Amino acid sequence: MRLEGRSLFPWIAGAAILCSIGWALDRGQLPPADFTFVNGTEVKSLDPAIVTGQPENRMINALFEGLTRWNPETLDPEPGVAERWDVSDDLLTYTFHLRQDAKWSDGSPVTAHDFIYSMRRFLDPRTAAEYSYQAWYVKNAKKYSGGGRAVRPGDNVEVELNVDPNGVNSIRGAVIRGKLVRIEDKSGNELAGDALDTAAGDASLNIEDWTFVVATEAGEERFRYADDLSASRNEPAAGERHARQILLDLHDVGMRAIDDHTIEFTLENPTPYFLNLLGFYPLFPVQQQCVETFGSPQWTDVENIVCNGPFKPEFRRLRDRTRVVKNEHYWDRDNVKLNSVDFLAVESSTTALNLYLTGEVDWIYDVPAAALRTLLAERPARDDLNPKPMLNTYFYLLNVTRKPFDDVRVRKALSMAMDRTELTERLLGAGELPTYSLVPPGLPGYDPPQSPHENVKEAQRLLAEAGYPEGRGFPTIEILYNTHEGHQAIAQLIRKQWQNNLGIKVRTRNEEWATFNSSQRQLNYDVSRRGWIGDYADPNTFLDMFVTGGENNCTGWGNAEYDKLIAAAAVETDPAKRLDLLHQAETILMDEQPIIPFYNYVSKNMVKPNIRGFYNNIQDTHPLSALWIDAEEETPNPFMEGRK
Amino acid sequence: MMIAFIIKRFFWLLVTLWAVFTVSFILMRSVPGGPFDREKAVAPEIKRNLERRYNLDKPVLVQYGLELERVFLHGDLGHCMNIADASVNFVIRQGLPISAALGILAMTFAVSFGVLTGVVAAAMRGSPLDVGLRLAATAGIALPNFVVAGVCILLFVFWLSLLPAAGWGSLSQLVLPAFCLGAPYAAEVARISRTSMLDALSHDYIRTARAKGVSRTRVVLVHGLRNSLLPVVSFLGPAVAGILTGSLIVEQIFGIPGLGVYFVKSALQRDYTLSMGVVLLYTLVLYTMNFLVDLSYAYLDPRVELE
Repeated sequence: MRLEGRSLFPWIAGAAILCSIGWALDRGQLPPADFTFVNGTEVKSLDPAIVTGQPENRMINALFEGLTRWNPETLDPEPGVAERWDVSDDLLTYTFHLRQDAKWSDGSPVTAHDFIYSMRRFLDPRTAAEYSYQAWYVKNAKKYSGGGRAVRPGDNVEVELNVDPNGVNSIRGAVIRGKLVRIEDKSGNELAGDALDTAAGDASLNIEDWTFVVATEAGEERFRYADDLSASRNEPAAGERHARQILLDLHDVGMRAIDDHTIEFTLENPTPYFLNLLGFYPLFPVQQQCVETFGSPQWTDVENIVCNGPFKPEFRRLRDRTRVVKNEHYWDRDNVKLNSVDFLAVESSTTALNLYLTGEVDWIYDVPAAALRTLLAERPARDDLNPKPMLNTYFYLLNVTRKPFDDVRVRKALSMAMDRTELTERLLGAGELPTYSLVPPGLPGYDPPQSPHENVKEAQRLLAEAGYPEGRGFPTIEILYNTHEGHQAIAQLIRKQWQNNLGIKVRTRNEEWATFNSSQRQLNYDVSRRGWIGDYADPNTFLDMFVTGGENNCTGWGNAEYDKLIAAAAVETDPAKRLDLLHQAETILMDEQPIIPFYNYVSKNMVKPNIRGFYNNIQDTHPLSALWIDAEEETPNPFMEGRK
Repeated sequence: MMIAFIIKRFFWLLVTLWAVFTVSFILMRSVPGGPFDREKAVAPEIKRNLERRYNLDKPVLVQYGLELERVFLHGDLGHCMNIADASVNFVIRQGLPISAALGILAMTFAVSFGVLTGVVAAAMRGSPLDVGLRLAATAGIALPNFVVAGVCILLFVFWLSLLPAAGWGSLSQLVLPAFCLGAPYAAEVARISRTSMLDALSHDYIRTARAKGVSRTRVVLVHGLRNSLLPVVSFLGPAVAGILTGSLIVEQIFGIPGLGVYFVKSALQRDYTLSMGVVLLYTLVLYTMNFLVDLSYAYLDPRVELE
């Protein structure tokens, strides 16, 4: 027995090694796709409603299509599933006419009902769409997605009843419509007016403790929130019914299908970028039948998914590669030139660069800073690299609830005492431009107002005026950044500049991402870094962040005049006047300076010189459906325009 | 005897898993920031629904009970909080074979190369070859993975154009990662096997064998090697577990879709379910490897008794 065991040992080891090689090669070598590129982190989901982020953007854009789509060069909205649209004179009503030949990948037509279904699903709080605010421009959409906390007595509501907890999770419960009469709190007292608003905004209160009294066809009924599981196990209290959730009546939300191919949206305010938003991936449609047959998230499995974009997925290997192939049912299939595209989930930008330089991939969207400088310095200049400014600003937040940042003179002194040119030219070196405004340049009709430029003398004078001559008595301040070598190098440089120019003491502190975000939100910092990417090409995406108490404000700063201007701009119908209001608002922001902008990012794409249909644009968005391969490189390459 | 030993070990495995589960649960929930904190704020009602999906809206003790029940009674590690399309079990099913294959290859390289150099060095103790191999082993232990990987990539990918830069699927894509992952372990094995070989060679029975006229090679390879393998085997237990899960850097550099990355990343992203899943997996692998090592002692050395 023992002898056998011992002599078996090498055999077992040998078998294990062979098995592992077999396993490793099990996936085999595939024929390469027409186009292969590095897409960054593994995408969170293929469900357009629940994702955020750039890798997801590229993936969803390949698989789905909205009412409009963006021109690959100018990013202007163009007909997508909608072939044309009418806009009312007050800019509040949009009517879209869907093309007859728009199809799902299973061959069935894409109709107006699909869009209503998808929009409702997107707004439903149970879908938990982090990007739901992208649809809040539609009338009452925000209220709908606020669920039971957003409805008020007098509103028309829909009560969704519980379903079998073992059923498919994406099917809605039966809906009862009625008028909300009153809301009662835990002890049975009526909640109304300000008390209701306060209670609804208090996340520590459980909505399950409230009773919603609704006048329905059956008379006044009392509903209480319950999970499907607890609803199936427990009888409701006497005189009450369980409800999955209570929402504003969908009929009061500004969208309806007029017929199978016509859809109408009514907006809260004139929104000049509404057509762009409809081409932004969170608002893309999903197929009801597919979602409700397989449930969430199983419907996104490659075997199950039904999509309506230029491509459909062929296989997906987590953190390895996802292959998409041309969707033969896509209405514009004749203009889709690539038959297959591989999305590589490679996180390290160095690995991505290695893959690109060895010819394994055709496009990488990021190049490590050190390598970028070398690549840019190559002579003759490379024909596959052309950094261009983006709609993206890097800045520092100042915590104005803390001394000494409560003094505007200190904030100004800090801004004026830094040397942005040293930062962009010495440290970054990819052609980034110094900036003195929050909104990046390049938006049509908007010339951002400037905060004061560098002036060390004036900065020292301001600091002295604020009571800290030559930095004496100035507390040690701390720059907070999330763990990343780039942010660290910048923080070290700024620290040196502030110490030399103002004679103040500066420390730096790094925190990993989740802790960093929570510190920022709780105002647990002195100075903190932030980068902001415009969601759409309009100054508002930057400026509405700094309204008093705004969720992403994170500085403690607020200004009534600023809030008023942002609110006025939201309802202004005249585009020029609207931009003027936003300009006035930014002037206040740059004068009060709760933030210090330093530079605008540049895009860092490397694209094989035989790829066409790839353009530099300020949102760094490159639809795959527009790409084609010019093997002989006979046509000019628009991507390289402007590079010497 | 044997069966009692296995049952006892299995019982302690459960206790260990439970303890690890509890400590990880407490640690994860006591660091600041949650899985759904984002740079851009998430609307409160949306966040509540996200949290509800993972029972995070319930009191911590209730969460603990639910998780414990799901993991230990149903063997279901739950749904990833970050990769919303996948369950933790699925992520492990996809990643583990890859990490395991890579790990076994790296280990094979480490053991065969390590034992060979260790034995040669011991047999030729004091010679320039011995000094050279020991230097190389020290360097192998001291040099971090990413330096070895960087040099290898420069050499084999860019200068010699022999091997692909990254990826997974073909034999040529395996060579560099397996080498880089195995190198420090090879160095460690070489060091251990040299020491234990020297120890074995100093025993009386070796002198007896030599006196009987057995050839030098046979003495080293049969009498010496068998007795010097035990320390190497005992090193293998934790090393295999470490190589399986510590492949983070090699996996990142070579773009390999294994499990190593999740050990760090899931914790940074506060992906409670995924990080719990990989921590439990690590515990299981480490425990199993140690168990196998103990069992193999009994086979390799008849003097060892299981207890």
